[in-house]
Amino acid sequence: MHIETTDVTRTYGDVTALDGLSLSIPSGSTFGLLGTNGAGKTTLFRLLIGHETPDSGTIRIGDTTVSAAGTEIRERVGYLPERAGFPAELTAREVLAVTGRVRDLSDVDSRVASVLDTVGLAGDADRPVEGFSNGMRRRLGLATALLPDPDVLLLDEPTAGLDPLGVVAFHRVVEDVSERTDATVLVCSHALAEVERLCDRVAILRDGQLLAAGELAELTAGTSGLEETFEAVVTGDERFGDEQSAVAADGPDASEAQRPPDTAPAEREEGAP
Amino acid sequence: MTEPQSGPQTDGGTTVTATTVTDSEGESATASGRRTQVALATRQVGSLAATEVRLGLRRRWAVILVGLFAAFGMLVLTFAGSAPGTAGFERTAASLAMLAVYVVPLAALAYGYDAVVGPAESGWLEVLSALPVTRTRILAGMTLGRGVVLVGGVALGFLIPGAILVSEYGPSTVPALATLLLAAAALGLAFLAVAVALSTLVREKTHALGAALLAWVWFVLVHDLLALGVVAAFDLSAGAVTALVLANPTSVYRVLVLGELGAGGTGGFASVLSASGLSSGLLAVALAAWVAVPLAAAALLVRWRGTIAAT
Repeated sequence: MHIETTDVTRTYGDVTALDGLSLSIPSGSTFGLLGTNGAGKTTLFRLLIGHETPDSGTIRIGDTTVSAAGTEIRERVGYLPERAGFPAELTAREVLAVTGRVRDLSDVDSRVASVLDTVGLAGDADRPVEGFSNGMRRRLGLATALLPDPDVLLLDEPTAGLDPLGVVAFHRVVEDVSERTDATVLVCSHALAEVERLCDRVAILRDGQLLAAGELAELTAGTSGLEETFEAVVTGDERFGDEQSAVAADGPDASEAQRPPDTAPAEREEGAP
Repeated sequence: MTEPQSGPQTDGGTTVTATTVTDSEGESATASGRRTQVALATRQVGSLAATEVRLGLRRRWAVILVGLFAAFGMLVLTFAGSAPGTAGFERTAASLAMLAVYVVPLAALAYGYDAVVGPAESGWLEVLSALPVTRTRILAGMTLGRGVVLVGGVALGFLIPGAILVSEYGPSTVPALATLLLAAAALGLAFLAVAVALSTLVREKTHALGAALLAWVWFVLVHDLLALGVVAAFDLSAGAVTALVLANPTSVYRVLVLGELGAGGTGGFASVLSASGLSSGLLAVALAAWVAVPLAAAALLVRWRGTIAAT
């Protein structure tokens, strides 16, 4: 499902987390979101799942404007937060069952069994989470995001703190999901190698502004890889100036970006349309 | 994407209904949409509450609460002795009621202080917040589950000393004991609600624990002493005395239960209040308000908590 942000701005007091962000993410792509700390990546995720509304600008997932959809948008979006955690006393199966029931899904038990198999936790389904390694917990988090068979999958720092084997196992699951489904996957990560491995498109943010966006091969052309590209873009290398910004802006047109915001600047009360 | 079970799936309070042709059809569709929303909310809250009950059992909270109330109840029976007749029953029941003033709030605050901040620290709240459910429903489910465990613990814990009292003083004591039990449960729910509200305010579990302990000290120890001092020092109107009682759930409970047991003369502040004109009905409503108001505050605070999470 196609994701489009148009001139999105979000501030917290004096801090501008996102500053006129316009970004187009094609349906079915695996998109990497890169940036320094405070670049606005997590804020964008929170906007995408409707936890907050932009001060100005619009975000659309498919045909739906996120700010108008309320919690409904989360029926179509699976989100693995960076700090996902689970009650230690519950088993993996119980964790997934309760999230499935809260989602009001049908056939929860069979879905749970299926998704446990997908993330490689079928053999540990009935063990309490307290005995799980970090990698297993992250895969369980991924399973909660995959349970509704989402159109959009958001992964926020999915492998942070995992050992190399955990990272590899997690990557395999994401690659498998990307291959088997037509979900649009958005990965926010500081691990450039991870983004290089998983993603076909990339955007680079700094201080809430989009510095560059486009196909991975296109962005890394003429460099030794994403690491060099990232450093050059963030430090303002001339090679990655206007040219890449043009790639970033290929989604929403400029006139649309200037239109008045259709959302209130204040935080939307959850539950309100 | 797979469709959910029910029809219109929206945020809490927002209903999407099918396009209709006439007003009456529109009203019907709207009513149907509301029913669907209520049914969905019930299922979501019920699922979360059931999980909270399961956690309460696995974390031994249910056993701890039952054991605590049973042990203290038996202790009261042991020390109260077995004086014959109505006076003996009233004295023992009043002792049980006074015990509940100290133990029930402490147990409720200890059980409820991490209701929100605990899952927030562990990351479970973030996982739940990523689901198509409002934070208010998440809070409602968690609180309902904890409420069930707490009330179950109070009821089962008082069952043993209650049964001994009935066997000793006869079945005519059952209504008074039932009143005591219901009031103790309501007192527990009131302090659980206070604990949940405090839990939504703070960012760390240790801060929530500290706030809960301060709340216990204020409501159980300090407030009554201060109120008694104010009543003794100044010639307060009946309205002011009433306000002092209603400002503290333990005072409300104490006046309600001691009045129902016919033992209103015992207990410092309670004896001063015997002529304040507070009816049992008003006291029961006040206790219910002490459950509802903190929970309403918590429902607002948990939304604010969500907005500050990203900052």
